[in-house]
Amino acid sequence: MKQIGALLTVVVVTLLLRSTALSALAARGVVLDVLAFAVTIWALRNGETWGSTCGFFLGLAADFDAAHWLGRHALALALMGYAVGRLGRTLVRDSARTQLVVLFICTLLHQAWCAAFSFGGAEGAVVTGMRILISAAVTAPAGTLILGVVRRVTGHPLFSHAHLDAKS
Amino acid sequence: MGGFLPPAERRSSALLGLYVALSLLLLLIGDRLPQSGPRGVGAWIFAPFDRVVLSLDRAAAAWRDNRELHQRIAELEIENARLRLQGIENDQLREQLGLRTYRNYALKPVEVLALSGEPVPSAATLSAGAHQGVHEGDVVVTRDGLLGRIGESYPGLSRAVLLTDLNSAVACEVESTGVLGVLRFTSTPYPRLVLTGVPLSDTVRVGERVVTSGLSRRYPRAIPVGQVRRVGPDPTGLVQDIEIEPAARVSRIRHAFVIPHPAPAEDQP
Repeated sequence: MKQIGALLTVVVVTLLLRSTALSALAARGVVLDVLAFAVTIWALRNGETWGSTCGFFLGLAADFDAAHWLGRHALALALMGYAVGRLGRTLVRDSARTQLVVLFICTLLHQAWCAAFSFGGAEGAVVTGMRILISAAVTAPAGTLILGVVRRVTGHPLFSHAHLDAKS
Repeated sequence: MGGFLPPAERRSSALLGLYVALSLLLLLIGDRLPQSGPRGVGAWIFAPFDRVVLSLDRAAAAWRDNRELHQRIAELEIENARLRLQGIENDQLREQLGLRTYRNYALKPVEVLALSGEPVPSAATLSAGAHQGVHEGDVVVTRDGLLGRIGESYPGLSRAVLLTDLNSAVACEVESTGVLGVLRFTSTPYPRLVLTGVPLSDTVRVGERVVTSGLSRRYPRAIPVGQVRRVGPDPTGLVQDIEIEPAARVSRIRHAFVIPHPAPAEDQP
């Protein structure tokens, strides 16, 4: 029950951030992919079951926010949550480098998937490609920085080590 | 697949399969489903949060604007104080240098008794003379601008030489650019006032105001003279031919004002 409440909170906060503060940044061409960030972190922390659940419901809520392509974000984020959750078992999740790489790949894939639905032909390919790359290049370090700050503030690791999880 | 996976993983795989199936189904038929209901629920849920975030955003924007406006006011107040100080300083410096400061002249009203000269009046007989404090060299103006100067003064009358006299010469400048010239009257090819001695390199535009420059010993500075009506090259090709429309209508004057003793700059202490 506690997990469900936390999940709902994550969904609400993520969508609020996406529709307010980050939309102003997006209008300037810098898309901070908060959906990918939230699902990745949630999946790294809670595993593939909760990761895919978080991805699906967060994606579904984001899809309802958009006008078309219901299920677009839900599918991509559910798969992403599952994959990251599975990978999280074998990764050193508290490593900043790991977080950076995982966030970069997840953002890249999510943005590429979303861009595919609005792809306007070869003419806009370069612009779209640049937008995807910028988004990944901004979200990954920003996300890693946020995680570092949270860890510093809370004083303990956000993710436990993989081998400790396996033992338990 | 589910046979060799542990139960927890089987459960998560099944869950993922469900999510994927639902997502694909929504992708295929989602546009046909009524979405206004869920979107309305979402809007109802998020509206209070959006309002809070919007209020915070507006408060932040107002705070930023307030800071910028305060800064702007402070800058303008400083600039205003600086300009005020510079104005006082300018007056003091002009006074120390013996330069004439801009001031209102004492105007003595007179009546124009007669006009003489053909076809354009070149002189006027005025109703005041030496007994009334009108002396030779005093400047004559109307409410529109410069008219001429007192050429002869009698006990109860005086005679003013108007700008339209062929021997009249007034040192002038174009108000906006400071281009200097001498205003003269010429009757060729037709009667007109001309700003002479303006080099071709100086830019003068039609419609610009011309005022007395103060360089003349006869006229104080900044009295309106007229407006540039036409600009062209002089027949000699050396200077400009600038025709001036006089500010004071010479042929229609009934009343004028005399500025007694308009001391030129050089005469100031």
